[in-house]
Amino acid sequence: MKQFKLGDIALLVISLAIVISSFNSYGDFTGKPEVHVRAGNKEWVYDLSVDTFATFYGPVGETTMEIRDGKVHVHDSDCRNKVCIAAGWVSRPGDWIICLPNDVFILVEGTMAAQEGGVDDTAF
Amino acid sequence: MIRHSESNRYARIEFVALLAAFALFLSTVEYLIPKPVPFMRIGLANLPLIIGLGILKDREYIMLAILKVLGQGLVTGTIFSYIILFSLGGTIASALVMYLLYRFGKRWISLVGVSIGGAMASNCVQLLLSQLILFGAAARLIAPPFLIVGLITSIILGIFAQQFVQTSSWYRAELEKRS
Repeated sequence: MKQFKLGDIALLVISLAIVISSFNSYGDFTGKPEVHVRAGNKEWVYDLSVDTFATFYGPVGETTMEIRDGKVHVHDSDCRNKVCIAAGWVSRPGDWIICLPNDVFILVEGTMAAQEGGVDDTAF
Repeated sequence: MIRHSESNRYARIEFVALLAAFALFLSTVEYLIPKPVPFMRIGLANLPLIIGLGILKDREYIMLAILKVLGQGLVTGTIFSYIILFSLGGTIASALVMYLLYRFGKRWISLVGVSIGGAMASNCVQLLLSQLILFGAAARLIAPPFLIVGLITSIILGIFAQQFVQTSSWYRAELEKRS
């Protein structure tokens, strides 16, 4: 159509750039999931892809977290009920393990994109 | 002479009223169209604002924008709720951008570009408002579909407006009346 002018194309390109950049809100697809640990009023961040052991100190003693093969679990804890150990391995963003007696909170954080598409095994 | 300018003034006011009535009608049509998500707007009611650009004076243009917001609020029943803020913010932003684009970029930009610019301005402001008022940071998740729909409908509306302005004898007559 001959009514189209140069500025129209420029505006279209700028608008397309805005639209495409808005897709960033769906999260960084290459972003690595991280393990956030809060014990007391301190917080630590671990890379979920690096295998480690880490020990945190709380009101009742030690809680040891293990990261292996992109998953995290509580390896040992001095609490009474061991609910945190029973929670097993977690790996997806949004998953968490908490040890209430020892005030240790482990949360897997990551991108929204990484979270989608998986089966919600709690509902499943 | 006085009589002439007097009748001219009324003719101008009538023209604003006519375009505002168009906006009201198109708001109704837009409201009737089922939408999967309430945020998916077509922006039909912006058509009078695009067409009015070439004819209206600044003050009349502002008047038309305000009337459009009120008409939209009336039709959708949101006139006394905070939702009118979205309509108001979006319309002010798009009217301003379209006015500036038309005023300073007429030589390089057709009404298609004006429409695109207006829609993007309106949608960006509405996203910002929904982030501030309604959803917080989660508002960014509706941004991509919202912006894409806005872009597509604004291109279609812009092409229509451009065709209309070029071919309508009614529009040409109104234009000649003023020159």
